Amino acid sequence: MPDTPSCFKSSQHSSQCLRLQRFGMLAIALLTSASCHPSPPSIETRRVHVQQGWELQPGHSIAGHPIVAGLGDVSIRLRGNTLYAPFDGKVEPADVEDCVVFSSPTVPAYLLRLCGLSRPRLGIVKQGDRLGTGHTVHFATLRKQPDGTWAIVEPSLNLIETALTPP
Amino acid sequence: MSRRNPRKSSSFQYFLAGGSLLALVGLLADVRTSFEARPVSNVCQDVVQPQSVLSRDELSQVLAVPERDAKATIQAIVSDPYCRLAPVEIRQGVVAEREVYPLAFDPHTWFVLLYEGEEYAGYSFVFQK
Repeated sequence: MPDTPSCFKSSQHSSQCLRLQRFGMLAIALLTSASCHPSPPSIETRRVHVQQGWELQPGHSIAGHPIVAGLGDVSIRLRGNTLYAPFDGKVEPADVEDCVVFSSPTVPAYLLRLCGLSRPRLGIVKQGDRLGTGHTVHFATLRKQPDGTWAIVEPSLNLIETALTPP
Repeated sequence: MSRRNPRKSSSFQYFLAGGSLLALVGLLADVRTSFEARPVSNVCQDVVQPQSVLSRDELSQVLAVPERDAKATIQAIVSDPYCRLAPVEIRQGVVAEREVYPLAFDPHTWFVLLYEGEEYAGYSFVFQK
């Protein structure tokens, strides 16, 4: 029979072993508490009222099929690659299924709506952080309007390249 | 009858000591926060007016100006900015200029204005730690 440390044998609990076991349990408890922080507060959905009220846009459906992009979306075949944060900012779930909204406090008056990312990273992100991967991402750039709505505008090539290029 | 194996008992103690040390490190240094994004702290491309701040009155006037109004409308309210951020191009073919004003009543908060040409596009707040 293989010899095991006597501390694992219940019949031979010495006071030292008990101390060691308690110490071990405390260490495990501390490790657990250190690694399992309370989950971050849930990130609220960002409602974006797009100025252009087209009939066919993400979030709508036609003949039972969901529309994943509309006029103004630039659809990019990522082929499983990663999309990166173009600036320091925040990623929030959008009020459209399968979409998130990226905003940056250093870039006022603009939002990016990104649809099609699988398991997107939500919350605060730094420039160059991975936002998510996907086969095809639909990239919409929105500019704030005086009435509080957001107009889809043509994104700059540089902006899209930054989001597609690893830092 | 089993005898205590001094080598294995010693290993067990090392294991416990190592685990405790890891736990201590985990408590003192939250690895995840170490990698969290920090607020922008020093992204000014050039400092224009080091003493510049935005008063409460100026802020309330700027907030009343609608987006897409003339840049001149904003500039009639505010003085020179503290600094300018690097120009960015968000819309194709349109370069955006961004000017920064620390708030007089909360200097750790920056008020960022974005202009496109002669048009005022909008504002945001940057909260610095």
